[in-house]
Amino acid sequence: MFTVLSVEARKLNRSLAALLAIAAPSLIAVFVFFNMMRGKAPAPWDMWMGSASAIWAFFMLPMSVTALTALVAHMEHGPKSWDHLRALPVPRWKLYAAKAACVLAVVAAMSLMVLAMVWVAVSGAAAIRPELVPTGTFDLTSYARTLAMMFLSALLLIALQLWTALRFASFVPALALGIGGTFFAVVATSAKQGVFLPWQMPVNMMATEVWRVNAALGLGGGLGLVALTAMVVHLSRRAVL
Amino acid sequence: MSTAIKTTELSRSFKRHLAVDAVSMTVPERSVYGFLGRNGAGKTTTLKMLLGLIRPSCGTASICGVDVGRDRLGAARKVGALLEAHGFYGNLSGRENLDLTRRLIGPPQAETDRVLEVVEMTEHAARRVSDYSLGMRQRLGLARAMLGAPPVLILDEPTNGLDPDGIADMRRFLGDLPIRTGATVLLSSHLLGEIEQTATHVGILHQGRLVLEGELARLKAELIPEIAVETNDPARATKLAGAQGFSVAQSADRIVVSLKPGEDVRAASAALNCALVEAGIAVFAIGPRARTLEGIYREVSSLPPHQTVKQPELF
Repeated sequence: MFTVLSVEARKLNRSLAALLAIAAPSLIAVFVFFNMMRGKAPAPWDMWMGSASAIWAFFMLPMSVTALTALVAHMEHGPKSWDHLRALPVPRWKLYAAKAACVLAVVAAMSLMVLAMVWVAVSGAAAIRPELVPTGTFDLTSYARTLAMMFLSALLLIALQLWTALRFASFVPALALGIGGTFFAVVATSAKQGVFLPWQMPVNMMATEVWRVNAALGLGGGLGLVALTAMVVHLSRRAVL
Repeated sequence: MSTAIKTTELSRSFKRHLAVDAVSMTVPERSVYGFLGRNGAGKTTTLKMLLGLIRPSCGTASICGVDVGRDRLGAARKVGALLEAHGFYGNLSGRENLDLTRRLIGPPQAETDRVLEVVEMTEHAARRVSDYSLGMRQRLGLARAMLGAPPVLILDEPTNGLDPDGIADMRRFLGDLPIRTGATVLLSSHLLGEIEQTATHVGILHQGRLVLEGELARLKAELIPEIAVETNDPARATKLAGAQGFSVAQSADRIVVSLKPGEDVRAASAALNCALVEAGIAVFAIGPRARTLEGIYREVSSLPPHQTVKQPELF
């Protein structure tokens, strides 16, 4: 399994997926940097890190997952390499499981990059304008914990997006699903039912009501693992004509 | 000669369309087997079933004695394939692409260099595949199929899109493969000329059915022999040959006499020559007409699909 995983990771070399993995967290950091630069009074670390995490969970995570899964799947759909891969003496479930593991690893790395890049952006802005040095402490454990919970609650969203992207050779179904899901997550943010919408589960990690956090984390993480397993079983058994 | 690939009553239908209809084919070891048929005849579907990519509706296929349906991984270890869609990652170099497959199937790192050398691609190996020409991609695909030196190579339309020089190179390369590597090559194509110059054996697929199979040289020599006759009076010669019980076709300067299967060409030529000379018709040239694969193909393709010509004794 390690070999198949390393092969998947090597495919990302110089790919658009790798570029996206860096671009999405960078955009949040750039936004935070300029937002801080136009400020008049210092704000606490919690505010900067909280707003960056919220932007990530609310919009950038679902959209990045949509684009990332479509790009990763298109690496095989584009050059029609499924036939070659599926004809190799390698159990097919390993090919799909490695793909899923690779996407999860990239999303986890993007979450870490959000944390690191926003710290760099805030520190950079504070260096340029010392009067805006953030107040309070930089509670790394708390920020990392929130981002980790967002990642876990996003498992269902990742599974659904990856499943659709791998199943259909065209970009359209996966993009339509991702854009549609994110759209409803954005326009119905305050709806109670939003906690059951996979695209809105990560942002629920910032909810003040405990039941929302627990429900989104349990459903997103638990059903996400079930969906990833079902995806691997379905795709490896399916005949690609 | 033992068998590298064997299918028994292999069939596949897509909804109501029967794409492959009870194909029983036998590919001898160390042969170059040309798998012929027009576009849509069912060649690619048959190859995909051999590679375990699609399940047959009924029938079986085996590679080097390993049943593809029962042990796909075992059968896949015996095959290297070049499919119509190459499936290369354009963002990676030729060497990196080969290395991905090498890692998945397990041979040592030196194997990548070996296959690159075999297809004369070593000097281009560091370039990104997105910068490759179609011919270079075909050669890289061939190199990938040869990773791990599998005993069977399945190549789907390997000369597709190549220029004349590329086709000549590929033809020479494929013809030498069994001698150089000991591999059996199953080569699908709709280009009769290519197969004729490369293959030792052929199988012709028509409307999903294998309508002819055998050793190419013997097929050309034995299947409905013909005698070409050049005379000073083709019209009279046609009548005379017809009266002798031959089936005759006439062109401007010659007649072509079709014999019955198994009929001795030399004896028939002598008899016909005698009859023409005795009738006062000058004979400029007479002899067995070289049979082309195209002629054979046209003949069997015009047969009703349920009729099959096969030479079982050849293998």
